[in-house]
Amino acid sequence: MRSYATAVGNEIYKGLRFAWAERLQILIELPMFVIIMLFMGPIMGQAQQIVSGSLKWSLNSESTSILVAWFIPFMFFYLQVVKMFWRLVAERQAGTLEQVYLSPLPSWLVIAAGRVVAAVVETLIVAAGMFAIVRIIVPLHFHLMVSVLLPVLLMIVTAVGVSLLVAGATLIWGRIEMITESVLLLMFVGSVGAVPLVSLPDWWKTFGRILPVNTSLESLLGVLFQGRSATTLWGPGGLVWVLIVAAAYLAAGIFAVSLGGKIAKRRGTLSRY
Amino acid sequence: MTAIRAVPSGHAWAAFGLQARLVANETTKGAKLLWRRRGRMVATLVSYLLTYLGFSLLVGGGHLVRPLMALTVPGLLAYVVAGTAALQGSGGIAEEANSGTLEQTQLSPAAQSVHILGRLAALAMEGLLVAAVAGVLLISVFRLSFHPDPAVLVPVLLTVVSALGYGLLMTALTVRVLSIGAIIHITNALILFFGGTVLPVAVFPGPGHIVARFFPTTLGVEATRTMLSGKPLSATWADGTLPWLLVHTAVLLTLGWVLYVTFIRRAYRQGGLGPQ
Repeated sequence: MRSYATAVGNEIYKGLRFAWAERLQILIELPMFVIIMLFMGPIMGQAQQIVSGSLKWSLNSESTSILVAWFIPFMFFYLQVVKMFWRLVAERQAGTLEQVYLSPLPSWLVIAAGRVVAAVVETLIVAAGMFAIVRIIVPLHFHLMVSVLLPVLLMIVTAVGVSLLVAGATLIWGRIEMITESVLLLMFVGSVGAVPLVSLPDWWKTFGRILPVNTSLESLLGVLFQGRSATTLWGPGGLVWVLIVAAAYLAAGIFAVSLGGKIAKRRGTLSRY
Repeated sequence: MTAIRAVPSGHAWAAFGLQARLVANETTKGAKLLWRRRGRMVATLVSYLLTYLGFSLLVGGGHLVRPLMALTVPGLLAYVVAGTAALQGSGGIAEEANSGTLEQTQLSPAAQSVHILGRLAALAMEGLLVAAVAGVLLISVFRLSFHPDPAVLVPVLLTVVSALGYGLLMTALTVRVLSIGAIIHITNALILFFGGTVLPVAVFPGPGHIVARFFPTTLGVEATRTMLSGKPLSATWADGTLPWLLVHTAVLLTLGWVLYVTFIRRAYRQGGLGPQ
């Protein structure tokens, strides 16, 4: 047990050292996130105004607060999924990925643990920066409660599952950077169904419930803006469905890494020879 | 990697032929890799289409608004070429560096400019292929109508060169910082947003419009859209879009070129062509 804990600790430490080495990237990414977020708000559901050239660019406190709460989970997804993907690809190309399979830990745990803590720390820094910048432009209001940690925790579990799904695909196909990018964009677009800023058809919301972010995002927004309890079992963002989605994505991710590892070992593609 | 016998100096045509052959070899290598990745390319195409439709539905409040799609499809196609060039260029050179084959390319008699041309040709092939299929599908399925004018090829060509310049710039930066891949997704997202894929650039408020025009594909998309709406090429010159597009394209390509050559030479001197 102690050797397992040491191995996990080592992976986390390695991930944090990588994150520290890339600290400049975080500073570059922060303003980009803020710009996209601020310009996203006023255009949702405004196609007719855009075509007629009568779109009004304005931000109000309520909708911008929701936008910030919507964007922060995506920053975490990006930092977890994309950075894990590029690191995994680099390890595969450099030949060190094979060493993962010498560890006493399951391969999925090595891959996930090496990134998740670093991604949480990076997200906290970027989120604080985003909050500070946006706060200068428009006041932000949230019902911050301890119970918000529950949907956040389940969102992290879901993101780990999604990153493991991408890891499994990477083990099989190698460089899938363009698919990774478009999958993240799709998840972002699909998650709008959970955000009360634009009226969308019911099918969008129904379909959105099987996407990784939507249910935990609904729960998070419910706590932050309606003062709802995070332990409410049913309804939009209900705990039962959030738990099911998080568990399903984590299980699918673990399966994907296991399958991808087996296929890569059989093909001899864990490394390049 | 391809090894070719060096040509004795003094034979200008022979030297030119050799350089052309080296470019062709690089391009052929890119085409072969592209064929090997054809399945992933189809998946990428489908994902890009779904993403575009998703954004269109989001802006349309759950409906696809065809007049808006007609305004944003050129932006999507430019984004696909630019995004592909940046991601595949960066991913490709990182792969070569990590696996040690980037060092081998320096044994080739080809000049750096030949390497660059070969890389750009391969990147253009992949991006244009995906963009062409996406464009044909969207235009035919949603019956989007444009005013066809052969002169539109001028801004289209400049947009493609500008997108490749952006790809080259990202490739060059990858030589300097191998782990830069993750940032490219964010810069691509900025191009997606400010390059006219989600909404026409003209809609942005004053300062936003000016900033958007600095992004790699924005000016090209604006000029292309102006012509597709029935205006002549002279209109894009008169409103200043075409001259700025020419300048922007030249600057971006030159910057990418200079940085690529500089960083490769620096890595060569400092032993940074292999895994770091």
